[in-house]
Amino acid sequence: MLSGLFEFLFKYRLAVFEEGEFTLGAPLPLILIVGGAIVLAVPAMTTYFRVRGKSSARDRVVLTAIRVALLTVVVGCLFRPMLLLSEAVPRRNFVGVLLDDSRSMRIADRGDRARADFVRDTLGESSALLARLRERFQVRLFKFGTSSARADSAGGLTFEDRETRLVDAVEAARQDLDAVPLSGLVVVSDGADNALTEVNDALLNLRARGVPVFTVGVGAERFQRDIEVQRVEVARQVLLGGTLVADVIVRQRGFDGDTVPLVVEDEGRIVASATVRMPAGTEAAPVRVTVRMTEPGPRVLAFRIPLQDREQVVENNAQRSLVTVRDNVERVLYVEGEPRYEVRFIRAAVEADSNVQVVLLQRTAEGKFLRLGVSTGDELVAGFPKTRAELYRYRGIILGSIEASFFSHDQLTMLSDFVSVRGGGLLLLGGRRSFSEGGYAGTPLADAMPVVVEGAAIADSLTFFSDLVASITPAGLGHAVTQIGTARVSTADRWPQMPPVTSVNRIRRVKPGAVVLLNGRMPQGGRAGEPGETLSGYEQPIVAYQRFGRGLVVAMPVQDDWQWKMHADIPVEDLTFDTFWRQMLRWITSDVPGRVSTRATPDQVNPRSSVQLRSVVLDSAYLRVNDAKVSAIVTAPSGAQQTLALDWAVDEDGEYRGSFVPSEEGVYRVSTKADMAYGAVGDETFIRSAPLDAEYTLAEMRRPLMQRIADETGGRFYTPETVGTLPEDIAMTKRGVTVINQMDLWDMPVIFLLLVGLASSEWVYRKVRGLA
Amino acid sequence: MKHAMRGVCGAAGAMLLLAAVATDAGAQRGRRFPGGDFGMGALGDPNSFYTPPDFRGNPPYDGRFTFARIKYRGFGHWSGREGPGWSHDYPDADVHLTKIIREITTMRPFTNLGDIIGGAIVALDDPALAKYPVAYLSEPGAWYPNPDEAAGLRKFLLKGGFVIVDDFNGFGDWPTFEAAIQKVVPELQPIPLKGTEAIFDSFFKVDIRGIGQSNGDLGGFGGRGGRGGFRGGGGGPPYGFYGIFEKNDPTKRLMMLVCYGRDIGEAWQWSGSGFVPVDESNEAFKLGVNFIIYALTH
Repeated sequence: MLSGLFEFLFKYRLAVFEEGEFTLGAPLPLILIVGGAIVLAVPAMTTYFRVRGKSSARDRVVLTAIRVALLTVVVGCLFRPMLLLSEAVPRRNFVGVLLDDSRSMRIADRGDRARADFVRDTLGESSALLARLRERFQVRLFKFGTSSARADSAGGLTFEDRETRLVDAVEAARQDLDAVPLSGLVVVSDGADNALTEVNDALLNLRARGVPVFTVGVGAERFQRDIEVQRVEVARQVLLGGTLVADVIVRQRGFDGDTVPLVVEDEGRIVASATVRMPAGTEAAPVRVTVRMTEPGPRVLAFRIPLQDREQVVENNAQRSLVTVRDNVERVLYVEGEPRYEVRFIRAAVEADSNVQVVLLQRTAEGKFLRLGVSTGDELVAGFPKTRAELYRYRGIILGSIEASFFSHDQLTMLSDFVSVRGGGLLLLGGRRSFSEGGYAGTPLADAMPVVVEGAAIADSLTFFSDLVASITPAGLGHAVTQIGTARVSTADRWPQMPPVTSVNRIRRVKPGAVVLLNGRMPQGGRAGEPGETLSGYEQPIVAYQRFGRGLVVAMPVQDDWQWKMHADIPVEDLTFDTFWRQMLRWITSDVPGRVSTRATPDQVNPRSSVQLRSVVLDSAYLRVNDAKVSAIVTAPSGAQQTLALDWAVDEDGEYRGSFVPSEEGVYRVSTKADMAYGAVGDETFIRSAPLDAEYTLAEMRRPLMQRIADETGGRFYTPETVGTLPEDIAMTKRGVTVINQMDLWDMPVIFLLLVGLASSEWVYRKVRGLA
Repeated sequence: MKHAMRGVCGAAGAMLLLAAVATDAGAQRGRRFPGGDFGMGALGDPNSFYTPPDFRGNPPYDGRFTFARIKYRGFGHWSGREGPGWSHDYPDADVHLTKIIREITTMRPFTNLGDIIGGAIVALDDPALAKYPVAYLSEPGAWYPNPDEAAGLRKFLLKGGFVIVDDFNGFGDWPTFEAAIQKVVPELQPIPLKGTEAIFDSFFKVDIRGIGQSNGDLGGFGGRGGRGGFRGGGGGPPYGFYGIFEKNDPTKRLMMLVCYGRDIGEAWQWSGSGFVPVDESNEAFKLGVNFIIYALTH
């Protein structure tokens, strides 16, 4: 309505003013017109000031101003203002019209009508808009989804594609029409772009080539009532028997304050569930759900919310994630400086775990070691490893109560590198020879620790002691390692019920980048302090961690967490302690990279979509290798195999790339092998090829993307309601073969109304002031 | 302190022998102190605990390894100042062993705090037992656990506790011990150890085959050097080391080490006194250190 009023007053649409160039087309020289204006104005002003009558000085000023304004408008019109507008020469230029042929266009969110109906109605062969476009341009129709192609008509669209590669389609159309005078491209879509192409790059290219893109957004910008499992974040791999923590984002429209169930299915079997409460006034509800993975191999987990009443989109209630459950044996080196209960109970807790092997190097006396869990007779026979290759064989290391001076400086540096370079997990346990009390301040390992260590070592540390009751932090609530909840008691309630533990390591500060998962607080009636000192309200972390380089360092500065098993209040059948330790060892070994690590992007694709493979190859010291011969054997679900050579990516040390296109539905296995001068190493990863429902994720019309494409390329954004002016707007783009039109402005209705208004205002003023 | 006791023990051997036999017989009838327990009923309530004169309370818990001696109710196997069977050799055995451990290993066990020496004394039905996952039980021949004690020990063992049983012989002690074990873990039986088990090689390599042949207290109660005539008598199996394993499977966790026909604690107690040969003391300490190291690492 506003645009109509504008066009009535100013004769042309706003777009004309935006695209046109203002100029004056006066038939007489400007000096003559200005001189004439002065000739007329001077006598008028003189008359006003000389013939005073009853008028006051203010009246004369007002009347003079009105009269001068009137004259100015008239004189202005004599200058013949006009717009110079480049317009496409009819039917000499081309326009590409790109029609979204993806499944999301089937969504019926325009009343009862689907988005696809708009395309058929508005751009069908018999539509008025297409006819008007053809009056002015040579129109070329394209359809796009997974790929783009020429289309004969909108009637031929099937709206079956499972992807929308919008930006790719625009670029493809531009290239297709590169040899002809192109006035612009029109994109009719809901904006559900799920291509991997970076939008910024594509837009820069279009802008550089001066191709305006006119976008028509189809669909509701906001659904009335819908629930969507928008995103699921899970680890890509987990050790068999481990706990997987999934962060799920549930998006809702019209379900404020409602509660809905979320179930997790593994091959159709429900393996976990949670309740999602939709916060009022907020679109997205985060929910964390834990799943124990008991089946090895690639597992497809479906995170699903059952269909709710009157939902507009039914296809977006589930998301699937591919998780590789590794049935490996992860070896963890446990170095303990003194025989103590902790060793007994940790070993017992994970003894039955066939996927974690604790290799114990127990110092029993000075220079005397007990080795348990070793694979070969010579493993650790010389004590703690002295070379990186020897140390890097383990995926995790536990340091018990052992002082820093036990290690050489090189060994401490190796331990630090084990985390930062090799990407291993390091767990530091409390004890009389640990942390500050063990003299770790100022050592290469101090930087890696998530807690601050300070001061000199304390001999046979007996200086500090504290009872601690555990409580879980918000970060711990969502972490796999601290999940000990049962069907009856939640994890948050369970931890404070666990028996108190004690610490002999005073922790004064946690590093800024560290995360505390379990906090300990001195219980009522408990002890804390050094001899002669009584601390009240003492707190320190029980479990804290930080990322350090490629790896992870966990601090657990307590000395007797075995109380969580032995304490008289803990029933015999309670496996909390065992569960905690299994989770702990799985955690510190879970994301530890191997010598070859291959990543597929994406790891879930629609059949016949390309998958990029990227392998990073390291030598035994975990340094990147550029001269390896890397190949990948891709095994399809049917068993068919193809071998790919992965080539070194020159721009990245140690990285080898390749790609393939899965044609079958199912899970593909990619076995990568890197041959190096001193042996071969390998890795295995999986890819799921299946029809994906990405089209229904964030399925509301994405106006921001559509608007941005238009704005940044010099085009315009339309809705179905405003698309009527599209042909005229494209005609003004100055692209292709154009002609310059002169468009007079002096005869705009608004000028006439202004003149009438000024004359009337003078008359009204005189009447009011009694000067008429 | 114990020098005089040594003589008393030797002189009163026959009397104690009779007392022990009578006690065992009484136990078979469900009584702890039959016929007044040869006058020992006057020592106190058979359902109460004896308190050794050197006991000054348990050390405050600080997480360190603390030698924990199990006490049981009653006054069976009474031996003058040493009290009932469970407190025999206390506190010297406890003190000597923990000092040895402190000297030769990297362990820093509790040894003393003021007047408190040796370690802790705990009952099987005391929740504090959970603070000492490795415990020592002396003279189970006079051990008649009540249901609470049996349940307490069962819970302790099943959750991961380890018990060293020492100092009992063939005069009916084994049946008493066996009966007690049946109350605690009826599904498990003591299994003879061969000497090749890791517990005999966890710190020192000890050849147990020689122990029963030549050592005094280590060899058995039948006389010095183990050459007496009571080896394995009284209805028990041959003297030796036995283990109670999880699920009766010697490849699984050893929950209880049984030193039958051995009195290792006695050798700890008298070490350095001249009453026990150095070799014998050495072997006893080797075994003690091995037992503790093994218990803490396995």
